[in-house]
Amino acid sequence: MIVYHQGLAKFQPLENILTFDDFDNGLNGWVNLMPNYTLDNFGVRDSIIEKTQWGPIMLSSATYRFPGTHGSMDGIYSLKLATRPVAGPYEQPPVPGSMSHAIKRMTMHRPPGLLQFEMWYAYTTEQDRSGLSENDIRAFGLCFDIQDAKARNFVGVRYLNSVNGNLKKEWQYIQASDVTDDEWAFGTSGDWCKRGVDPLWYGRRFPDGSTDGFKFVPDSRQELCYNESDDKINWLYLRLLYDCNKREYVEMQSRDKVFDLRGNSPTDVPPYARIEGLLNPLIWVEADANRRVFLYVDSVVISMA
Amino acid sequence: MTTSVEQRRNIYGDFDTHPMETGWASEAIFFVRVEELLEPESRYEASVQISVDGVLWIDEGTRMEGDGNEVLSFVRVKHFGGWLRLKGKVEGGLKLSIHLVLKE
Repeated sequence: MIVYHQGLAKFQPLENILTFDDFDNGLNGWVNLMPNYTLDNFGVRDSIIEKTQWGPIMLSSATYRFPGTHGSMDGIYSLKLATRPVAGPYEQPPVPGSMSHAIKRMTMHRPPGLLQFEMWYAYTTEQDRSGLSENDIRAFGLCFDIQDAKARNFVGVRYLNSVNGNLKKEWQYIQASDVTDDEWAFGTSGDWCKRGVDPLWYGRRFPDGSTDGFKFVPDSRQELCYNESDDKINWLYLRLLYDCNKREYVEMQSRDKVFDLRGNSPTDVPPYARIEGLLNPLIWVEADANRRVFLYVDSVVISMA
Repeated sequence: MTTSVEQRRNIYGDFDTHPMETGWASEAIFFVRVEELLEPESRYEASVQISVDGVLWIDEGTRMEGDGNEVLSFVRVKHFGGWLRLKGKVEGGLKLSIHLVLKE
């Protein structure tokens, strides 16, 4: 008889569960995403993206002024990503602190097959002012940063909620446009990054919400139950299924809606040194106004088949 | 859990740190590291603050101060409820890193 943790009942894992991270039990290996501090005095490489100022993550009880403590979906604590109270125009590179990320660093331990990312999450703004603030959240998403002997791939989706205050509410998947490395880095040269790497930040962004890093999922405008007040959070389900053999997206599920992604591939980037076998799931949130926005994650399951 | 709430931040004048939820923890230490004097003879002072909701803050009572001669300083706090931050002021200019260490 196989006995599963009751917290798994709300997931649809593949045959082999790599991680089941319930943040009631701590950070489970999820950590702030930071650059490489490898230069003199632990400096980082010059880049048009300032990567040292992202908002730090924390364990949260989701506590607000009026309702008090939400707790998490099945406990007290969730993983909370919190930006700093800053944002720039959508079309510009993300400004320092306008995003918050959590990453877990692992390596592949099975032959390439299906790979799935599931999470239960909620999103809202800091309730530091009156009104309803849904359109101050620009985007949130999840992805894998993976590398085998052939290529490095970013595989993921994001919910593009708002562009300069205008609600979009559409899903996008990661796939780089046919641009140069310099264009990928917002028209600068000599950046660390190659086309296709770190699409969370890189890739030019355009007023209609399109970017060099993401493609719209067709017919994907979706309401996500933001609720009627910034201090009311509803837990939501998100799932992404990827085929490592075919190097092709399979599908994503948001709430009860499944979107077919077959026929679409991520972008192959020549392998980077020292990261063969990389398997890094990553979660992020981005602000669309000068205020803190939050992504709460109750739990995550990464599974393979 | 250790986190850098502020990292190599150039501060001139008033500052407050990234609000951290701390409901799971029972003890905390703020470490303030002076990374660089941006102006000669600069110094800082800071107060630990607590909050109901991470929006409205009040002094907890613990204070600290330092200058460029003290590379690393710290304060300890207990019984702080659900939120913690440091609120402070720099006279002159300092590049500061501020870590918060939380334990259950």
